[in-house]
Amino acid sequence: MLRITGGTIYDPANGINGEVRDLYIADGKFSSKFDAGRTIDATGMVIMPGGVDVHTHVAGGSINFGRARTPEDHRRTHAFIRSKTRRSGLGGMAPTTFATGYLYAGMGWTTVNEAAVPVLSARHTHEELNDIPIVDKSSLVLLANNEIILDLLEEGEDERAKQIMAWYIWAAKSYGVKAVNPGGVASWKYGNDSKHLTSKISGYDHITPGTIVTKYAKMIDELGIPHPLHLHCNNLGAPGNVETTLETMRHLEGSRAHFAHLQYHAYGGDDWGNMRSEAARLAEYFNAHTNMTTDAGAVLFGDTVTITADGPWQHLLYKLTGRKWGNLDVENETGCGIVPYTYRPSNLVNAVQWAVGLELLLLINDPWRVFLSTDHPNGACFWRYPEIIQLLMCADYRNECMANLPLNIKNKISLPEISREYTLYEIATITSAGPARSLGLKHKGNLGIGKDADLVIYHQDKDIARMFGHPRYVFKGGEIVIEEGDIRETPDGKEYLIQPFYEPDIDEFLRPRFEDRYCMSFENYPVEMERIEHAQIQKCTGDDAEDGDSQ
Amino acid sequence: MGGKVTCTLGEVKNRADFIVYWGGNPAECHPRHFTKYTLMQKSKFLPRGRKDRTVVLVDIRETKSAKAADHFLQVRPGKDFELLTILRALIKDQKVSEEQVAETGLSLEVLKDLIEKMKAAKFGVMFFGMGLSMTRGKHMNAAALLTLAAEMNAFTKFVAMPMRGHGNVTGADVIMRWQTGYPFGISLNRGYPRYNPGEFSTVDVLVRGDTDCAFIIGADPGATMPKPAIDHLAKVPTIVLDPHVTHTSRLSRVHITTAPAGIAAPGTGYRMDEVPMPLKPALQSPYPSDEEVVRRIRETIALRPDWMTNQPQMIEAQI
Amino acid sequence: MSEVILRLKQDPVVTLEAEVITPDKFAEMSHEQICESIVYHGKRQLRLDEFFEVEGEKSEHIVLHGDMHRVRHLGRAMTMGSLTAHGDVGMHLGAHMKGGEICIRGNAGDWVGAEMSGGKIHVRGEAGQQVGAAYRGSLAGMKGGIIIVDGSAGIEVGMRMKRGTIFIRGSVKDFAGLQMIGGTIILGEGAEIRTGAWMQRGTIISLKPIDLMPTFGESGVMNPTFISVYSNLLKPHGCELPNDQNLGCYRRFSGDRSVPGKGEILIWQEHALN
Repeated sequence: MLRITGGTIYDPANGINGEVRDLYIADGKFSSKFDAGRTIDATGMVIMPGGVDVHTHVAGGSINFGRARTPEDHRRTHAFIRSKTRRSGLGGMAPTTFATGYLYAGMGWTTVNEAAVPVLSARHTHEELNDIPIVDKSSLVLLANNEIILDLLEEGEDERAKQIMAWYIWAAKSYGVKAVNPGGVASWKYGNDSKHLTSKISGYDHITPGTIVTKYAKMIDELGIPHPLHLHCNNLGAPGNVETTLETMRHLEGSRAHFAHLQYHAYGGDDWGNMRSEAARLAEYFNAHTNMTTDAGAVLFGDTVTITADGPWQHLLYKLTGRKWGNLDVENETGCGIVPYTYRPSNLVNAVQWAVGLELLLLINDPWRVFLSTDHPNGACFWRYPEIIQLLMCADYRNECMANLPLNIKNKISLPEISREYTLYEIATITSAGPARSLGLKHKGNLGIGKDADLVIYHQDKDIARMFGHPRYVFKGGEIVIEEGDIRETPDGKEYLIQPFYEPDIDEFLRPRFEDRYCMSFENYPVEMERIEHAQIQKCTGDDAEDGDSQ
Repeated sequence: MGGKVTCTLGEVKNRADFIVYWGGNPAECHPRHFTKYTLMQKSKFLPRGRKDRTVVLVDIRETKSAKAADHFLQVRPGKDFELLTILRALIKDQKVSEEQVAETGLSLEVLKDLIEKMKAAKFGVMFFGMGLSMTRGKHMNAAALLTLAAEMNAFTKFVAMPMRGHGNVTGADVIMRWQTGYPFGISLNRGYPRYNPGEFSTVDVLVRGDTDCAFIIGADPGATMPKPAIDHLAKVPTIVLDPHVTHTSRLSRVHITTAPAGIAAPGTGYRMDEVPMPLKPALQSPYPSDEEVVRRIRETIALRPDWMTNQPQMIEAQI
Repeated sequence: MSEVILRLKQDPVVTLEAEVITPDKFAEMSHEQICESIVYHGKRQLRLDEFFEVEGEKSEHIVLHGDMHRVRHLGRAMTMGSLTAHGDVGMHLGAHMKGGEICIRGNAGDWVGAEMSGGKIHVRGEAGQQVGAAYRGSLAGMKGGIIIVDGSAGIEVGMRMKRGTIFIRGSVKDFAGLQMIGGTIILGEGAEIRTGAWMQRGTIISLKPIDLMPTFGESGVMNPTFISVYSNLLKPHGCELPNDQNLGCYRRFSGDRSVPGKGEILIWQEHALN
């Protein structure tokens, strides 16, 4: 048992905004009583629920491809030197698995959602997730370019498509559905793209990206999956793409949806020269439609490696930058591209992107619906989140940073007119309580009795980036894992997954189609349950139990 | 710079209407490859199977695989890098003269025809074997082919992948990457991973005699490495885990017999396209798996005092 | 002039990583501090004086004696002073060097002056592979300074180099100037194959006939004035470039067309005597 006294608590899930209260922990959960045990004096310190990352790329074929492509970054990065309690590893743009766990926990994040898993290599993703210590994990499976499902939609077999979707989620031992450039990646297999909601998808006559997003959102809602459709819209990164994004949002009225890394989808103009921010317009629409959540996908200046299932976009980026390019197409399912990239403040396009990420976070007025992310490692590495928190909390600092932008950025961004500063309560919402709710993880991002005792204790510090970068303590499951920058314990995290319902005869329906498309045996395809370490199956709505906290 | 543009084998099966084999002989070395993944398969996009595909073999001699190909291009030995580099120039409409092409053993006309076919393909794939990657120029020969494939994407869809030999080389490569950031040629002597092929790669370390012990799992360097490397293995304490008696086990001080992976020990094998396959053992073995032996060695070592008395330091000025 | 003199007294069994042996560090260190500074014998951390007899202190001039072919990272990232070795040295000599001078009276291993940006390295014997090159994955190799090798060198001399000068008096193996971005490589005794492969820019001067990639095109014969300028610059380092048009001329080739690149290869050709 353990008691934390005197800390100032920010717990948005329970409406606690900066109150001094004691917290009791027993058996890894918050408890209502304390009999005996260690007491930690947190007087004068700030306490928040452990961070939850709704959208990151930390495990699996694509980030591992990225690791292989960037030895030059590994060499210049911070190395984790092995000790009795800690494995060695490397930080940097694409950290190794052990380092990923240490780095996330080191800044107080305790749950991460790997947002892009091809089913075909899900076994690999889970092996990597098993090697990420401390944090709890979940993963989303890439289905929006799955040709077997698209074929069924093309044939009008929507019910069957839904069953197959459920089958795939369970086969991958995954937690939800990610849609990347719906239809566009399927077109990329022919060297094409599908940029707009009405675009043709190569190989199909009746369906469009619009069909896919609408039907997928509906199917996910019908299956009762805790996290809504997790959508990477078409036309990512292109000037003028705000029209596509708004059109997508209109398609999704009446359904739940999570818009991933919205920053990359909020541009006006029609070429790189006149690209401008349309964050204000997008935020206005978003504010008025409460069916949606989003994460920022903010950009910070510096080196990174871009990794996405959006193959055509990566080919364009390779042509623009002339840097290394990796591409991996996955049969029937998806693709993936890798290009190292440097965001420069002197580059007008990069400067606009930097501003757009912040504008979205500042102009979307409900912190329960917009979450902190950099689409790690695409916009910046996740270990730079404290810098973004500083930008959100200090308007003066923001203005200082804006002074480094090119002069001709005037009229292309609205950031200079925004004076909003985030409060600690709002920061706790966008980094923890909000993403936990969006993921449907009711026992996360919440300091209430009976919830998982994942929390972070910060020193009060005027230097916000330092405060959030160097927590005093981090607790995971009631255990002190970080103390004053040192890694104390490296417990294994849990892995969340769901088992949505599908008719048992779907196997026999799927088998011939599967054998036609894939080149491995049907029996070997689903990930075996025993491969998931510390698996926690979460309920879908419509399942019997009320609460999602099953064991 | 170039890159690595690749796909899983099912994509080849479903879509590849233009297939190049370069410096490999799958007919004899990967006997199931043609039928299972590439030539013979029919798919939604290639309903007539083999008839819908064009197959080119580039090699220094006419192997059995040539029979399976529509076109055989015989490149002069040691000229693969030159030929690939010429192709890179030609796809960009750069001038290369007939005489310059001649040194590769082929003619400009043949190459122009090849490029025309490549550009006309809907989905091209280039497989390369050890005839390319293990001959003079080694990694640069492979880089030349990968770069050509990447650059072909300016015209049409093109991918490339190595035809890897031996069991689960890819698996070792994949796991080293997620745990250390690097695929091979790694040193952990400073307590963190460092990478430098040529410096830390096994064969180079052994040839230079830079190691005083060797621990070998599931490989037989005694059969394949150059003599100085083998001599060094015989000189230092060498420990081998292997189901069989091998060249390496014969020169080792300790040989621990283990259960053969995939036959009597379960696990994951990574196919050459990095798709993870479950290994489901068909037999039982009286011997422990490699994993169990390594774990028990590790547990025993952990009981001893830590050799690392001081925290080692990173090498400074890496940039 | 004070010096720190190190004499190898015990041969390392495995590699000895000794990046501490640089003028920048020793300039600040007392005799005791030098003796107790850490070197890595394989994975073991040992005192420097277990391998070397140490003489002198606080000097930016280092003199080494012995067969140090297993000793790596000598002069790493040094910015000043001098390092002189009487005997062979191991890999990464003067890698990331920014200034000062290194002289090796013996052979050096691979990666001499890798990614260096200033200073001078002179290897009196032979050098290994990747002289002045980029490490794997890096966008640029040598960015400044000068490397002179009196003997021969291995493959990938000046790989991805951006600026600076490399002079190899002896012959080099394959891929000299691979993916070169800028700077100058001078080859005294020619090269094996694939010189200048995939080069973008920069200049390779060969004083002996060499085989070229088929993706280079000949673009004339010349006696450019910059050769004399170079020659004067290099004279103090003991290198001279022929440029007497009565004796011969440079054949100029440009490429690599596969990139397509604007690099140039100049090959000195003496006039036939008749």
